[in-house]
Amino acid sequence: MFYLKRFGWVILAILLCVGFESVVTSGKNFDYVYRMCVLAGLYVTLAVSLNLINGITGQFSIGHAAFYQVGAYITGFFAATGYKGFASNSLVQQLSHIGVNATWTVQGLWLVMMVLAGAAGAAVAGFVVGLPSLRLKGDYLAIVTLGFGEIIRIVCQNQPALGGAYGMKIEPRINSMWFVWLLAILCIAVCRNLLKTAHGLPFLAVREDEVASSAMGVDVTKVKVTAFVIGAAFAGAAGALLGHFEGFVSPPMFKMEVSFMVLTMVVLGGTGSITGSTVGALLLFGIPEWLRQIEDSHHNPILVSAGSVLGFAIMLVAAVAYVRHLIHHFHGEKKAKTQRIVGTFAAALVAQFFLGMLLNLVPALRDKSWPYADLRWAIFAVTLIVLMLLRPQGMFAHHEFSVARFFKRPKEAAA
Amino acid sequence: MSTILQLTDATIKFGGLTAVNKVSFNLQKGDLFGLIGPNGAGKTTCFNLITGVYKPTSGSIVFNGKEISGTPSNKIASLGICRTFQNIRLFPALSVLENVVVGAYLRHKTGLGSALAYLPSAIAETEALRAEAFALLQVVDLDDVAHVRSADLPYGKQRRLEIARAMATQPSLLLLDEPAAGMNPQEKDDLARVVRRIRDEFEKTVLLIEHDMRFVMGLCERIVVLDHGEEIAQGPPEAIRSNPKVIEAYLGEAV
Repeated sequence: MFYLKRFGWVILAILLCVGFESVVTSGKNFDYVYRMCVLAGLYVTLAVSLNLINGITGQFSIGHAAFYQVGAYITGFFAATGYKGFASNSLVQQLSHIGVNATWTVQGLWLVMMVLAGAAGAAVAGFVVGLPSLRLKGDYLAIVTLGFGEIIRIVCQNQPALGGAYGMKIEPRINSMWFVWLLAILCIAVCRNLLKTAHGLPFLAVREDEVASSAMGVDVTKVKVTAFVIGAAFAGAAGALLGHFEGFVSPPMFKMEVSFMVLTMVVLGGTGSITGSTVGALLLFGIPEWLRQIEDSHHNPILVSAGSVLGFAIMLVAAVAYVRHLIHHFHGEKKAKTQRIVGTFAAALVAQFFLGMLLNLVPALRDKSWPYADLRWAIFAVTLIVLMLLRPQGMFAHHEFSVARFFKRPKEAAA
Repeated sequence: MSTILQLTDATIKFGGLTAVNKVSFNLQKGDLFGLIGPNGAGKTTCFNLITGVYKPTSGSIVFNGKEISGTPSNKIASLGICRTFQNIRLFPALSVLENVVVGAYLRHKTGLGSALAYLPSAIAETEALRAEAFALLQVVDLDDVAHVRSADLPYGKQRRLEIARAMATQPSLLLLDEPAAGMNPQEKDDLARVVRRIRDEFEKTVLLIEHDMRFVMGLCERIVVLDHGEEIAQGPPEAIRSNPKVIEAYLGEAV
């Protein structure tokens, strides 16, 4: 009965994803929307998997793009060396007759293999990064993971075997939106299952207090490394799908910005909340795309420039507040006072810097050719700031979405 | 009665500071043992040595016939020593019940894989551990606040929750670090009852650090006194009370 029900859920998830894909592809000029939906799905996977490391286990990691990249490059490497052999393999040829379309079946099988390979490779990378996390905490770990992310990117950029700065072409391109969303659902399900069972508690306990968890018999080392391995594996799987979707991989696709974007998604949604990470990913990915419309239309240049500058100023001030919030979150109350002083000082400096910049920009206000390329990011930033100021704990804080919460007070009777 | 814990010349040095110097004592099964001394005497450091937070510089710590010095904390917890902390260290964002389940998690049998796949075995185990934790909350009279965030509990209840969480690991030796600190006389009496009940009903051996002399003298059957990292006296409460060295340590030398 249980397995029947489980099977039903899996089928439902697949149908949902396939249905979603067919709805998207049924529209006119669906290329853009399709692409956005694929990328959104990948970002959801990234955010939810980072949330496992960052929010649930409390290990401040900001190098998630590295795991994404490892997955993508592994796919790139295999696609260049092994795809032709795979497609002409006699077993695969025989299997290809099972599906509706022989090409689809071959590509589907290949994709599954690549996702697993990408996940495995990234899991190894996660293990390697997880090891220093045994000794480092908070900001220090953040620096190490950041460094790791850059190392992976720069090594790839300078390795002729990996295509150097040009990257690698990946044949064949596979449009796999339903698979992307299935992966996102799987990632959400795994994290949700972890938190639903007693096995999730040690992860939360490590986040709350390492000394106390270890005194209660929790193997802190194992928990941290496990979190890194699982989180990295999902990012690697997402990377493999990205590689095949784009048809190429190159180092700039995995810049630090990607890591920060994903981190912002997690924090904005509410560190530790799976629902929060999902919604955060969708919003943060969606808002700039939506704002692209403003950028494309022709508005009053003075208004636009002024708005842009103002947005930047507010962004920087809020960035200070935001970083302070992060520090506060990881160090507790004690240092709050010093931080307030440092924060105010920094905010004053930033304000001054921007006053100068504003004055410099005055001629630009009259220049009709002034590029507004950054406007949407400015508006985006303002949105972030407003959200962060109004709700520093993130949209969902520690909570998860649940239907039951709408109907009853959360007072369950323990067995 | 058999020896459960044996410290022999346990010593730890932090650079030039000898925090605990050649401390030796034995705990018999079923003891209610007190560890007292002025501030900075090395009592909590002693606890940290026993629970594997620090590795002793020299000397040995034998638990149930097994040398445990240098064993990691979590291994020691699974061997059957669990502790509470002087400055309460609960998992603030977790509920009261979840805090206790973390202690009980020590005895989990299903693998992580079955939890990630949400298989029936993992679900059943979770239910069992929660039920077990809930039963312990009833013992310390916290079952009515089982689903409250532990950080939101009043101080006295947080202390009791720490004991419940430690009890959930089912230790044979329970270490309590200043369990009565900051409690009023009524709460202290309640606590003494709980501790005695833990020893009598659950057959645990209890080692506790405490500053409140009335509490220690009334509760403990044997006491060891530390001062400046050294052991200065050992024996039943009556002997400790009249021991000139102990009086000197607490009140200063007679003029």
